[in-house]
Amino acid sequence: MELNRYLDLYLSESHDHLRLLNKSLLALEDRAAAPGAIEEAFRAAHTIKGMSSTMGFTSVSDMAHELENLLDQIRTGVRTADAGTMDELLAAADALEHAVNAAATGTPAPGGVEAAAAAPNAAKRLDVDADFYARISLQEDEPMKLARAMILTRTATSQGLAERSVPEQFTDDFDGEFALVLKPDADEGALRKLLEAASEIASFRIVRAAAVPATHAPATPTAPAPAPKVNYVRVDQRRLDEVADSLGEIAILQGRLDQVMNSDNSPLSDMVTRMTRLISELQHSILAMRMVPVADVFDRFPRMVRDAARALGKDVDFKIEGNDIEIDRAILEEVADPLVHLLRNAVDHGIETPAERTKAKKPAKAKLVLRAWRERSSVRIQVQEDGRGVNAKKVLAKARALGLAVPETGDVGNEDLLRILCAPGFSTAEQVTDVSGRGVGMDAVAAKIRALGGAIDMQTRLGHGTTFTLRLPLTLAIAQALRVRVGGEDYAIPLTHVAEAVELDSCEIERHKGREVLRLREEVLPLVRLRTVMRSTQNGSESAAVIAELGERRTALAVDELVGREQILVKQFDGAVGTLPIFSGVTLLADGRPALVLDPVSVV
Amino acid sequence: MLRTVLICDDAVFMRTMLSDILSHAGFSIVGEAQTGKEAVAKYKELQPDLVTMDIVMPDMGGIEAVRAICAEYPDAKILMCSAMGQQSLVVEAIQAGARDFVVKPFQPSRVLEAVQRVLG
Repeated sequence: MELNRYLDLYLSESHDHLRLLNKSLLALEDRAAAPGAIEEAFRAAHTIKGMSSTMGFTSVSDMAHELENLLDQIRTGVRTADAGTMDELLAAADALEHAVNAAATGTPAPGGVEAAAAAPNAAKRLDVDADFYARISLQEDEPMKLARAMILTRTATSQGLAERSVPEQFTDDFDGEFALVLKPDADEGALRKLLEAASEIASFRIVRAAAVPATHAPATPTAPAPAPKVNYVRVDQRRLDEVADSLGEIAILQGRLDQVMNSDNSPLSDMVTRMTRLISELQHSILAMRMVPVADVFDRFPRMVRDAARALGKDVDFKIEGNDIEIDRAILEEVADPLVHLLRNAVDHGIETPAERTKAKKPAKAKLVLRAWRERSSVRIQVQEDGRGVNAKKVLAKARALGLAVPETGDVGNEDLLRILCAPGFSTAEQVTDVSGRGVGMDAVAAKIRALGGAIDMQTRLGHGTTFTLRLPLTLAIAQALRVRVGGEDYAIPLTHVAEAVELDSCEIERHKGREVLRLREEVLPLVRLRTVMRSTQNGSESAAVIAELGERRTALAVDELVGREQILVKQFDGAVGTLPIFSGVTLLADGRPALVLDPVSVV
Repeated sequence: MLRTVLICDDAVFMRTMLSDILSHAGFSIVGEAQTGKEAVAKYKELQPDLVTMDIVMPDMGGIEAVRAICAEYPDAKILMCSAMGQQSLVVEAIQAGARDFVVKPFQPSRVLEAVQRVLG
């Protein structure tokens, strides 16, 4: 697998997190904002660590880990965020940024990435006594590493790129890690081309250890190789987003026009119908352009899972299913971090060591599956392992110790457990590990999935394993929504979460254990009156219910009126002060009026 | 002009497969040899752009054939075809002058990758 394909993505995502890191570090000096800021800084460092280790940039992930440790000392009160500490933190963030850039371009930053990479790593054992060299790791499963290294050395030498290899002679115990000492005037582009084309190479890095001249232009990351027969045009994602946004607005305008036309039989009506069709075709094409196979992100995971499993002494059989399922590129990029967290957690906390598994009469090799599939207008992504399962007793004890609100009774469902696991700062790990850190994962995962308009579900059975399922909208730009009226206001509920809608007079409302429930066919569903949730004081009564589906649970949301189904363009927003935290964004309805987009996850 | 290839292998199956892979990729298969001796003779006769050479063949093996060819034609571009677990033989062939190698079972993409590298 060619990790260089992900370099662009790695760089742009790392820079986002570096910006966030700097912003939150600066906020640390403000005492009131500090607790939130430290969590945010922590998450940013943690994410950079995860991405860097996935890319094989050990030195960067080591630095991020150091930064995490420093932040943890502040969080636990070992250190105070005084001026000295702040200087140290900001310097560390700067160093991290240099390291990210250097690792991604294959050139060390002033100050030296190499110096920071003191970690005992297989690749680092190799001592290269040269200033300009390429460090190469052969594929783990390459059957003839020695012969491959010989050929690569000879090819690079005969092309005038390399002088010699380190080690100079390859012996029978050669493990696939070697370096080519490059000629000072070697053509870096030609070398890259040679190494990138060699499928026996797992990864390589070109290192220039001497001080880099200020004018040195970083090598541009190589564009992905085009697939056969199809011609690709690379377009800036933002351009495409702009087009999609404008088109969304046009579609809404067209909806309004359509409404006006309905009451009028003028010849304009034909033209509007034609335009409607054209717009919808155009919309279709634009959306298709934004769709990419999940493989674009999933392909990075086997390496990461393998490395994590090895570091933790776990034996894991990792499988990916549904690699060709397509989803909006923007969503896929956003969901990459949460998946890193979930997979790492699975290997670290979920899956037992081979010894523990044997003792529990399970196969020593654990199963870990990452699976994607399409379901109605959503994409599901599932991380499933057959590990130890979440220990509810332990989780509850820890939650009580941390002062979190937990159910009184001993009966704790999967959803309660998930809610506790997703509380900020919560972790069931007894010790800090390099692989999944200190539980910054789950709250970040839940927050990110919700921000995308998705939902997360967990099924766990003690001794049998845990399954996380993410439900994601197909695309971010335009969503199908149900328009409902509550207390004189219109709201949009994304169809991702809607199973069906029913008239209330066709079902019975009963009381069960002091709560209202709706009897729908054979099913009894908890009933939530949105009038109550919205604190509506207007007169009126509910006539219908929307059945929201969140994970395994279905809930009936009572509304005054079902207005209809619409395409909406969701604009994310940070709710203004005083807004109920149940809205995921705002949209313009077909009649041009703004409406809030209800996030059913937060209501239920 | 099409690049010319000489395929040396004692198994018809392997020759057919290699010939398919390479002719699909636009090479012209100008000859086939079943023994090392035949390989050397055909090389002299055809002087192809590329030779694929099986390591184990009757009546002079592939490594000896590489040695014989390279002694006379140091620029000969020979790609070794090896089975799994023959690393020491591959190393010997490389020292004898072979330019690259592929390991059976063949993946067409790996074969073409090696060919590309050998032909530069």
